[in-house]
Amino acid sequence: MPTLVFDAVYREADASRPLAVIESVRRVQRIVIAGRAARARGVAPGMALAVALTLEPRLDTRDRDMDAERALLERLAAAAGELTPRVSLEPPDGVLLEVRGSLALFGGVEALCARVRAVCRRVGTRARLALAPTPLAALAGARAPRGHAAAPSPVMHRAQLIGALAPLPLATLRLPQDTLARLAKMGVTEIGAALRLPRAGFARRFGHDTLATLDRLVGREAAPRRAVVPRERYRARAEPAYELTSQPALVAFLAPMLEALEGFLRGRQGSITALECRLHHRGGAATRCRLRFAQPAFAAAPIGFLLAERLAATTLAAPVMACELVTSRLVPRRSASAALWQPGEHGGGPGNEAPELIERLRARLGEQSVYGLCLVPEHRPEAAWRIAEPLAHRGAGTAVAADRRPLWLLSTPLPLPSPAGGHAWPQYEGPLEKLAGPERIETGWWDDRDVARDYYVVRSRAAALLWIYRERQPPHAWFLHGVFG
Amino acid sequence: MGIPAQDGGGAAPAYAELHCLSNFTFLRGASHPRELVERAAALGYVALAVTDECSVAGVVRAHLAAKQCGLPLIIGAEFHLRCGLAFVALATDRHGYARLARLITRGRRAAEKGRYDLGFDDVDALLEHCLVLWLPPADLSDEARLLAMGARLRERFAGDAWLAVELLREGDDAARLATLTRLGARTGLPLAASGDVHMHVRARRRLQDAVTAIRLGVPVAQAGHALYRNGERHLRERARLAKLYPAPLLEATVEIAARCRFSLEELRYEYPQELVPAGETASSWLRRLTEVGLRERWPHGAPQKVHEQVGHELALIAELRYESYFLTVHDIVRYAREQGILCQGRGSAANSAVCYCLGVTAVDPAHEEMQLLMERFVSRERNEPPDIDIDFEHERREEVIQYIYGKYGRERTALTATVISYRPRSALRDLGKALGLDPAGIERLTRTLQWWDREAGRVARAGEAGFDPESPVLARLFELAKELIGFPRHLSQHVGGFVISAGPLEELVPIENAAMPERTVIEWDKDDLDALGLLKVDVLGLGMLSVIRRALASVAALRGTPFTMADVPQDDPAVYDMLCRADAVGVFQVESRAQMAMLPRLKPRRYYDLVIQVAIVRPGPIQGGMVHPYLRRRERSEPVDYPGPEVEKVLRRTLGVPLFQEQVMQLAIEAAGFTPGEADQLRRSMAAWKRHGGLGHFHDKLTRGLLARGYDRGFAERIFKQILGFGEYGFPESHAASFALLVYVSAWLKHHEPAAFTCALLNSQPMGFYQPAQLVRDARDHGVEVRPASVLASRWECTLEDDRALRLGLCLVSGFGEAAAQRLVAARAQQAFADVQDLAMRAALERRELEALAGADALAGLAEHRHLAFWEVAGSEPPLPTAPRAGSGEGIPLLTAPTEGQDIVADYRSIGLTLRRHPLALLRERLGREHLIPLAELATLPDGSEVHTAGIVLTRQRPGTASGVTFVTIEDETAHANLIVWERVGDAQRRPLLESRLLEVHGRLQRQGVVTHLVARRLIDRSALLGSLAPRARNFH
Repeated sequence: MPTLVFDAVYREADASRPLAVIESVRRVQRIVIAGRAARARGVAPGMALAVALTLEPRLDTRDRDMDAERALLERLAAAAGELTPRVSLEPPDGVLLEVRGSLALFGGVEALCARVRAVCRRVGTRARLALAPTPLAALAGARAPRGHAAAPSPVMHRAQLIGALAPLPLATLRLPQDTLARLAKMGVTEIGAALRLPRAGFARRFGHDTLATLDRLVGREAAPRRAVVPRERYRARAEPAYELTSQPALVAFLAPMLEALEGFLRGRQGSITALECRLHHRGGAATRCRLRFAQPAFAAAPIGFLLAERLAATTLAAPVMACELVTSRLVPRRSASAALWQPGEHGGGPGNEAPELIERLRARLGEQSVYGLCLVPEHRPEAAWRIAEPLAHRGAGTAVAADRRPLWLLSTPLPLPSPAGGHAWPQYEGPLEKLAGPERIETGWWDDRDVARDYYVVRSRAAALLWIYRERQPPHAWFLHGVFG
Repeated sequence: MGIPAQDGGGAAPAYAELHCLSNFTFLRGASHPRELVERAAALGYVALAVTDECSVAGVVRAHLAAKQCGLPLIIGAEFHLRCGLAFVALATDRHGYARLARLITRGRRAAEKGRYDLGFDDVDALLEHCLVLWLPPADLSDEARLLAMGARLRERFAGDAWLAVELLREGDDAARLATLTRLGARTGLPLAASGDVHMHVRARRRLQDAVTAIRLGVPVAQAGHALYRNGERHLRERARLAKLYPAPLLEATVEIAARCRFSLEELRYEYPQELVPAGETASSWLRRLTEVGLRERWPHGAPQKVHEQVGHELALIAELRYESYFLTVHDIVRYAREQGILCQGRGSAANSAVCYCLGVTAVDPAHEEMQLLMERFVSRERNEPPDIDIDFEHERREEVIQYIYGKYGRERTALTATVISYRPRSALRDLGKALGLDPAGIERLTRTLQWWDREAGRVARAGEAGFDPESPVLARLFELAKELIGFPRHLSQHVGGFVISAGPLEELVPIENAAMPERTVIEWDKDDLDALGLLKVDVLGLGMLSVIRRALASVAALRGTPFTMADVPQDDPAVYDMLCRADAVGVFQVESRAQMAMLPRLKPRRYYDLVIQVAIVRPGPIQGGMVHPYLRRRERSEPVDYPGPEVEKVLRRTLGVPLFQEQVMQLAIEAAGFTPGEADQLRRSMAAWKRHGGLGHFHDKLTRGLLARGYDRGFAERIFKQILGFGEYGFPESHAASFALLVYVSAWLKHHEPAAFTCALLNSQPMGFYQPAQLVRDARDHGVEVRPASVLASRWECTLEDDRALRLGLCLVSGFGEAAAQRLVAARAQQAFADVQDLAMRAALERRELEALAGADALAGLAEHRHLAFWEVAGSEPPLPTAPRAGSGEGIPLLTAPTEGQDIVADYRSIGLTLRRHPLALLRERLGREHLIPLAELATLPDGSEVHTAGIVLTRQRPGTASGVTFVTIEDETAHANLIVWERVGDAQRRPLLESRLLEVHGRLQRQGVVTHLVARRLIDRSALLGSLAPRARNFH
């Protein structure tokens, strides 16, 4: 897959824009692969980013994402499973299909290749294909540069193999860099030249492993592969005997489906992070209920409980003809979560109840309605807190300066009338008594919300402690910003 | 309840700021020392203390500014001790300053570079004659601890310690004042106001936030509470202070300031005394040494003029008490001589008759033009310290440095500092990070703004880089960068400026660790030392001296007789003929492209011409527009005239055109009535005006002075423009005079002993303008036989064989070390090598080393060809003398011999040059089919011809002076050619310009005299053709 690195981070990218993937090699950012528009400007793999930018100042770059590459490769392998059961991964960028058995089935080489290409397109990458009697030879063929004298055509029989391989560059075997370099210095850069060297002398100089690679390449030694087992999802569909119209009926119908899910998960020691329940109607779009779990889930009961909460908040547009459950990909179950104690019991810690509470609240109110707050170290009061994912910053224990800050801050400061413009004390339900201040806050220039204010702690006639400020800029207006509890 | 304070109104009480950081507290302070001083003076402060954190690096600058403003300056420093105690120490007198400097030294030496580490014990042991201002922490809640700290300070510094009250509107100032008043009462420490000043005006708040973020390595937006919440840490108006502080606290500052009487003016520098033998005074001893030298230089008696000159100089030296300086320099030079280390002094004082007699310089004071130069010698009224730089062979400078450390001791010797300042690129980079731009974006921006002098184009450039030119982030970035550029960033060590003192140096100026182990650096740079009249000696490394020493030794060996620089015949016309032909590869100073282009135009015929040649190809004369008038006058195509007698006196030797830095100063003195001191300031300002501007008042003064002496306004403007052009790039005649000697000697060696000269150049790499490949090629063009590196004949270094054949040394073989070479040479001396195995075993070479030799084709003679050599090497066993010989009994490998192209490419890869054919010779037929002509044919074509050609790119240069032009040198098997690529052409064809190894050029021939350029119009990258010579192994993905 020559463009895997690229396809993994730029999905459906605009081909007319100059794009490239970069990674840091010894603190220098370098181009790993460039898109067509960037290549046209001379941006090439291995080039330092700084150099590339002199060639194409508008170059849009993204960091290399090995996880995404691996995932893309796995998706491809899984998708290729429809062509042959014997699929194996050749990380970082290859997939091997054993197709001896499928050739006839698909109607010959050409037709099979077309199918493979279609699979690649679907998954979102492109492939170079090569067909050969041994796995290594196929890989070498696929890696050979296009337009090379030895542009690989399908090799069907072992007898043609050596002749076909001979002109291919040795580098296609991905031998260690050092080995390739040493061979190159002897003028040996093609597979044929390496195969001509005396075996004993070759092994002594380049190791038995290297010799074994050559042997596997030409089929003198077997090269077994391990087939891919893709990470699974669970998917189930059931149709009730009669149309379901009420939430309790739905819950009752779904219960055995969830039991089946739990059994499936138990068998694989897996758990799930999300579940979608699709309720199909007669005609029209299905109603979808999506659940995300704060922690990976596997037991039917809590999942059912959450689903019931969500269904209670869902209005059904029409009777339900069929129910479908689709899970996220399985993740390995962490057995530690099956704690000795139930949440809240001895030492379980009240904190551990929070995820459950959050899930229940989210199930009932919707995901957007439940969030956490965290303090931000910032001098501007209005910027000193923000919304956060619940529990995300738990225990971070952000040290807040010993400043005196009111717990309740007005979302919009309230203008206070002042008899003599900004030059006299303002009124709020009568005259105010100064307790402390001024505290001058003038900061925030970096995000265009520069403030310059003098804050005072004052007591109103009603004995409320207030936090007010006066703008340093004319007309020196006064505002109420907070109330101390 | 009072109304919040407004500007103005109220009496302004007297106040001295006692706690103030400059930007020499790196990445905390946000104003230059000068800005602080000027602001404090404008606000009518009684005094200002500059108290950088454990440092006095900025005080000299502050001192100079304070002298100008008439503001009393207090020298102090802020300290944060391990125990958490923070205070400011202020020097009351010279003794207190010495103690302060020692305390700083101890803290700095105890920690890695850029940090310090001090405990109360250190303070207790060292600090005397200083006043202490305790800086209590922001959080005053731990009263017990505060009381303990206060008591300790009071006990140790009774009567000299105060409690600093810094009211910065950070919450409840009234409460803080009350708490501190209580604390003062309970510890018995009096209170004094101070401002924790970080900037001269509030407007620097943004920059202060930005440098804080840079210091912490986070974006400003995430710096949070590490930023100050407001901009109060600036020099505040006294009327405002009056509203914040009770009057006694302000009065205390005045009282403290009055007790600090120390000024940097008091620093007196004393030179080491040990160089004077018993029974002599420094003066008599210098006279004696000079007389000895006089007899050596003129065995038959010196001319009367010289005698007079020497007498005059000695009297002046005695009057200014500079004897010890000359004795110190003499001692260093004497040591080098004894060790056979070639050295030579330069600089104004170096070109004195005394220095000539002492052997510090070889510039003959009897020389006609040099007579005039002598006037530049240290002058009575100028009171500027003598300036002598001494160049040593670059490979042996360390020996001299170790001698100096050994002789005077580390406590009396240290290197001067170099202040590394923010430049446009570093400022953008750091600020970009602070503003949260992504690293790739910053890189993109700094790249595009690579040559970003023109501010107008900046926004457009940023747009090209994919930024929204209207974006406020960008506007902020540029605004802040403008302020940050020129800020000191850290202290580094000067390449060779040594300060040597009579007493402990650390009492004069703090010393800190340098990045290099075993090196120590003082906190001041050379301008600071100059300003205070402290003396230093520059011990510099010069590669050409190594070359000359090596070449002279070879010549002596070849001729069988001692041969030194003094034996080089003077004024050899053949040598000047060679230079006039621009045949100067390898010659000192005049080998660069620009110098070579100048040689045939300037046509040097004698020593003084070389002095001019060295100085004229500099940005100063070029930007000042002096080059062409001088050349025209030299060719007599323009009359030599002088607008007045004063000017004639100064400019006669350069035909009325100012070429040297000294001449500009002399003009200001002679023709515009500057005092020598003012002229000196002018020189300093010339160096700085580019960065800071501000030559306006000099302009007025110069114009007035010239008009008053009857010169017209046009002339005045021209002179001023020339001064601007000189900027920091004017070259001093006193340095050019010394360099010119080396130009001549190296040119003589090149002409008469090219093999020895090239050999010495190769053995002194890396140095100079050219790579070994070009040096070897030039030598072969001059008829030198060059033999390849070989295990059968080469030594580590390059050598001469059989009467002037040059044998390349194993030092050129990449990846091969000197120790291995020495083993190889020793083993070969015992018995010739039989084969690769024998070599590997007896020279105890590792596989890696053998591969290096095979790569260089240095095994030729032991293996049939390179490929087989590698096969042999790969099969060699680790050297175990007792093991049976392996490798026999293996089949014979079917390896093809490398093609000529492969060998050529492999030669380049290993030793950077080839003695086989030039790669383009192999491609000539192909190039010929495409009608690309060999470069040698350029010489035969008329000016203005349309040319299509191609060559290997040797160098690309984009000089700052040549507004966007790129100069490219290409070569083929026949010749070199120089391309001129105008900015427009270069921008449009950036890729071929920057990337080509083999470049095809279409352009127009331009000829001026014997200088030929090709002005490029079209550039095509033909590097693929080189690839066809030897396909490279590469990875296939």
